[in-house]
Amino acid sequence: MADKPGPMQSGRHTPGTNDNPSTAPASPSATGPASDFDVNQLFASTCGWCHLKGGREAGKGPKLADTQLADGEIIARIRNGKPGQMPAFGSAFNDEQLKAIVGYIRGLKP
Amino acid sequence: MTRSWHVAALSLALLLLAGAAATAAEIDAKRLMNADKEAGNWLTYHGSYKSWHYSALADINTKNVGSLREAWSHVASRSVRGLQSYPLAADGVLYYSGSYNQVWALDGATGEVLWQYKQKLNEDLVAKQTHSPYNRGIALGYGNVYMGTLDGKLAAIDMKTGKVKWETKLVNSEKLTVGFTGAPLLVKDKVIVGAQGGEWPDRGPIFGVDANTGKQLWRFYTAGGEENNGDARNTWLNDSWRTGGGGGWMAGGYDPETNTVWWGTANPAPLYDWSGPDWKTAGARPGDNLYTTSVILLDPDTGKLKGYHQEVPHDAWDFDSATGEFIMLERGGKKYVVHPSKSGFVWVYDRNAKVQNVWRLIKNINFVQDIKPNGELVGRRDMTAGKHENLCPFIAGGMSWNMGSYNPKTGLLYKVGNEWCMDLEIVKTTPILEPMAQLNIGANFNITNPKGDKAHGHVSGRDPITGKLTWEVKFPEPPLASLLSTGGDLLFVPDPRGWLRAYDARTGKELWKHNNGQGHNGGIISYRAKGKQYIAVATGWGGLAGDDYPSFFGGVFAQMPKDSGVLKVFALP
Repeated sequence: MADKPGPMQSGRHTPGTNDNPSTAPASPSATGPASDFDVNQLFASTCGWCHLKGGREAGKGPKLADTQLADGEIIARIRNGKPGQMPAFGSAFNDEQLKAIVGYIRGLKP
Repeated sequence: MTRSWHVAALSLALLLLAGAAATAAEIDAKRLMNADKEAGNWLTYHGSYKSWHYSALADINTKNVGSLREAWSHVASRSVRGLQSYPLAADGVLYYSGSYNQVWALDGATGEVLWQYKQKLNEDLVAKQTHSPYNRGIALGYGNVYMGTLDGKLAAIDMKTGKVKWETKLVNSEKLTVGFTGAPLLVKDKVIVGAQGGEWPDRGPIFGVDANTGKQLWRFYTAGGEENNGDARNTWLNDSWRTGGGGGWMAGGYDPETNTVWWGTANPAPLYDWSGPDWKTAGARPGDNLYTTSVILLDPDTGKLKGYHQEVPHDAWDFDSATGEFIMLERGGKKYVVHPSKSGFVWVYDRNAKVQNVWRLIKNINFVQDIKPNGELVGRRDMTAGKHENLCPFIAGGMSWNMGSYNPKTGLLYKVGNEWCMDLEIVKTTPILEPMAQLNIGANFNITNPKGDKAHGHVSGRDPITGKLTWEVKFPEPPLASLLSTGGDLLFVPDPRGWLRAYDARTGKELWKHNNGQGHNGGIISYRAKGKQYIAVATGWGGLAGDDYPSFFGGVFAQMPKDSGVLKVFALP
């Protein structure tokens, strides 16, 4: 048991630094053009929680490789989600980024 | 039903409720302190501050459990992701919560609805959340039902009327995407509640709120601590504490003798770091990453950090410590706190969080070679970017968040263990904060069978201090619901396929079973109403761990509903 967390108080934190995480720099991938948008990274951070192996296998969510959904249906599902199964990403991605996600899914190999 | 009959029935129900309230003492600090002496009630999430999840009631016992029958049931509306909550019982009234922050008060003997509460939620926000819209429990006290909400509030609802008394916004969920799903803990005149965290790029705060006014009294950030209160930001190089994860998403415990709240904290973010063995200086979040994957000891009055033990320094496997109950025990004149964890290990502490022993509940563990009895990790498997096979246990844990049960009559701790593993590919990621905070996992992965074995679960009865096994029962899939043991020498195990089973708590012999028609992923209690003992269990499937069952285990899970919740209540004829 550490009765006094004293040693940690000499940390590298600069006094006056804003500790509000909402002001930390956002990832450029969230708002940037599709050319900067790394879908593989997006899957590893967010989508892969449910769509296993980068979307190659079913998990909590369905397998995405070889999906029978049309592009528009995939985009609608990403935007609107499905209650209790998939979050609605709403305006998190712009049109170019959504196209990049669809392109990633279409390009998935087993 | 005619209107006059309806009015008469409602009047009678309110009269009965008022009568019960008039004869019962208010649930206050003193009553909660002695909750373990009230066998007929279940006043707090863990049963009492001892966190035994045990009922001393013995009317239903090994000799007559074969006659146990369903007495009544209640359908929880809009049960998206099933029913994951824990019922509470006070003076003949049963209270429980459901998805979308609904709460019901029911006559404990008949199931008659006394009132129903639906939280007004920001539904656009809820639709964006992944770990949602379930609620895992409530707290009772001072005439209120306390509930953390999906959109970051703590609400106090009048126990008699079901009307909201106050709400306090604690988390900017619209910015951070996360809110509250775990049960609050009432300690003296404070409500303690922990936010979701871990997978999201936030700092996982725990709050202390005035139980009467709703005023926020203190906050403690589990990722990095607070300035002048356990400031540990130097354990996160490159300012990585800003998006460090953490959180306290399950109800903690309380030790009245030392006036100390014990809370388990969640994992750092990203879950999977690519640093490899250089994690002290390299990777996504170099350093120990205090106070993630830790047990922290807080003063309930001030939120001051009194102590801590980090069970897994620089957790790189999502084996956070938020999951386990804090079981208060005395053995041979010594006082212990036993804390099971998602890692598959069980930590045994003294009342000052000094490690006394660590033991394994499951076989398939290889994220470390071992953890010594003094708590030291040996042979860490720190991974770099790229593919890795056969990491055990699976991300859902060697134990999930469902509670075990300690029975003082048998001296055994009953706990579910999960035997499963995973393959993964670790990918370097950047936290996404705008326009909505997104998960920060850091890997693609899939569930696998352990080498030379098939994934499965088990329920065992063990010595809580040494881990010595008395008996074990295997299940083809890990049960994901909480357990209940009773003074009638019974252990109730709600299983994933829908069977509620009762075992002889001393031998593990199955004595009774009943099919509830859908999987279990919530709580179970026993209580007394109008002189009779009841067993109440939450049914309903669709939690995050169970979401992998259809694709991995198949069978009955392929068709099991994920939007259905029913509270089932059993009694002897």
